[in-house]
Amino acid sequence: MNRGPFIFLGVFIILSLTWALVINKPIQETGHLSPIFDAEQGGRLPIGIKGGAAQGKLVYQEFGCIACHTQQVRVAAGFDLERGWGERQSVARDYLDETPVLIGNSRLGPDLSNVGKRQTDASWHMLHFYNPDITSKGSNMPAMPFLFETREIVGEATSRALKLPAEYAVADGYEVIPSRKAEALVAYMKSLKVTYDLKEAPKSNDVMSEELSVALENAK
Amino acid sequence: MNLIGNLCSSLCSNLEGDAKNREAQRTIDAAIRFPLLSIFKASIVWMLIATVFGLIASIKLHTPGFIEECQYMTYGKVEPIFWNTLIYGWLFNAGLGCAVFLLARIGGTPLKQGVFLTITTVIWNLAVVIGVVGIILGDQLPYKWLEFPSYTAPILFISFLGIGLWCAMAFRARVQRTTYASQWWILTALFSFAWIYSAAQIMLVCSPAQGAFQTLVSAWYAENVFGLLIAPLAFATIYYLIPKTLGIAVVGYRYTGIAFWSWILFASVAGTAKMVNGPIPVWVASVGVIATFGLLLPTTTFSIQFLGSLLSRFSKIWDTASARFLIAGVLSFIVTMLFKSFGALRGSQEVVQFSIFESGVNQLALFGFAGMVFTGASYFILPRLLNKEFPSPTLVDLQFWAHGMGLVLLCIGSISGGIQQGELINGSTADMLAVVNTMRSSYFLASTGLSFILVGAIAYNVTFFWMLLSARSKKEASTSLIEEAPELEYTAS
Repeated sequence: MNRGPFIFLGVFIILSLTWALVINKPIQETGHLSPIFDAEQGGRLPIGIKGGAAQGKLVYQEFGCIACHTQQVRVAAGFDLERGWGERQSVARDYLDETPVLIGNSRLGPDLSNVGKRQTDASWHMLHFYNPDITSKGSNMPAMPFLFETREIVGEATSRALKLPAEYAVADGYEVIPSRKAEALVAYMKSLKVTYDLKEAPKSNDVMSEELSVALENAK
Repeated sequence: MNLIGNLCSSLCSNLEGDAKNREAQRTIDAAIRFPLLSIFKASIVWMLIATVFGLIASIKLHTPGFIEECQYMTYGKVEPIFWNTLIYGWLFNAGLGCAVFLLARIGGTPLKQGVFLTITTVIWNLAVVIGVVGIILGDQLPYKWLEFPSYTAPILFISFLGIGLWCAMAFRARVQRTTYASQWWILTALFSFAWIYSAAQIMLVCSPAQGAFQTLVSAWYAENVFGLLIAPLAFATIYYLIPKTLGIAVVGYRYTGIAFWSWILFASVAGTAKMVNGPIPVWVASVGVIATFGLLLPTTTFSIQFLGSLLSRFSKIWDTASARFLIAGVLSFIVTMLFKSFGALRGSQEVVQFSIFESGVNQLALFGFAGMVFTGASYFILPRLLNKEFPSPTLVDLQFWAHGMGLVLLCIGSISGGIQQGELINGSTADMLAVVNTMRSSYFLASTGLSFILVGAIAYNVTFFWMLLSARSKKEASTSLIEEAPELEYTAS
């Protein structure tokens, strides 16, 4: 091993082979998925992110929300289903349109794959971003007051203004207005939901039986 | 083996020709003094910056109101800045500094084109600054340890190619044809980083892989930054410092080849273990788990070599600042690898996945293993480079103990806290707010640890700049202070 080229060559061969095995092979074999068209479930699957929600995704990325929130549901381990974070395993096809992908690998806060299903109320999200203490007392999520503007009420109060509880209220004659970024972020949160089924990721038996019982109830 | 003989003979003061050796070494050191000092300057300042950002991020976890109003300092921005300045700022520069010194000394010849090296490293550091500013302004990418905005990537890559080219030429220019393990590790680190960085940038930014597979590439890259860049540079330093500070050859040196190749093989695959239960084929994660466990093979060899050498000269460890940092680094390495290997098993990941366990282990690997080793090496290199004594040995002691104590607190907070957090998140349906409440004490412990490390970083900066700026005393100016004998090694007390 007294020659530089020998070491270079050895390292090069090992790195290329391992790269070919664990990175290139899976991508060649399973990394060229295409969307599915399913008329019953509303056309193209995955549904994808559009409009204001797509803007919100950029805000999510800008403020590094990924440092604390994942967007993936696991079935084989953990209590993701029991926590109501999702109904089925997240699979590669779910992330088809995501570039850059915001899966995340840290759960200092809850998983957000289906936050749009859990919290459908836009004003809840607004208050949560303005000050998480209002909606989730004791949370260590950072407040984002810079996404809102506190301004004097001129004439009539704006309908978009946050409806703050008394102890968090701003001074009389002032109101808190969400900025465009806040609106986009909330639109993104509301869009985060997996509403469709994929063959490769069947729902768990519990979820299926629950849905069946609901369907039976309805039929009666 | 020839070379070890040379290394050892240079340590023995009673051998003939030592004065001549020292004269030759001074010429070698003089040729790289300017670039090397600028690299160390950068690394030491980056260490301070990284620790400050780490502390801010850590405080934000238990006191979310801390610097809350500023949109440029959200947790999501401060945290990636911390990791990126830690890796590309501090450890990369420190490791590079050690590598340059080693290449020059082991090669045995004064190296040319120091200006070229200085320019490329300055460009590298400017790119890191641009990256940090980019994250602050909100251009970050969501990939672990690749958060720097995409526009910094070409600058980083090109300046790295320059650095790598210089080092390859320095290696070629060696007079001593026999190579030593340190040189293999340096070559590996430089070549691997060019490879993994370009592969990751191409597959994530230029022509991105499909959604889920970006995570795979990102996990592979992040683990390789440790396994194929930082760790090899630290190994190179350890293989050099053991004979230099202890006056003995590395115990069991002939097994180095096995450890070297098996480390590269297993480390280059280990990253995919993080993808357990993720949206990629199951076998990919399994290969990663096996490889991470396989890392125990080279780890065992390293442990025997390093600990065997260090413990056989135990008394020297407490007298020599460098050796003390070295043993702390080696112990951190062993603990890190145990946590990494056993933590990658599926059973463990079911508990610790997505918790702060992983960041705790990474902090142990970076602050503990690599950080301690590079710091120890810089305490060996700087007096030789400047021919000055430490202005205050107390400060060196202070840094050692502050850094060490901080590390212990940080690891208890993050690693054992991570296991607790994982048990609550992955093993129960406890409310997330309750989990946050339980974790508050662990977060607080981590902040305390980082404050200790910050004290150490300040002591390090003061020592370095004091040494750099103070005028040489009469004694320092007139003679060579360094006599390459272990008994006369620079001591902290």
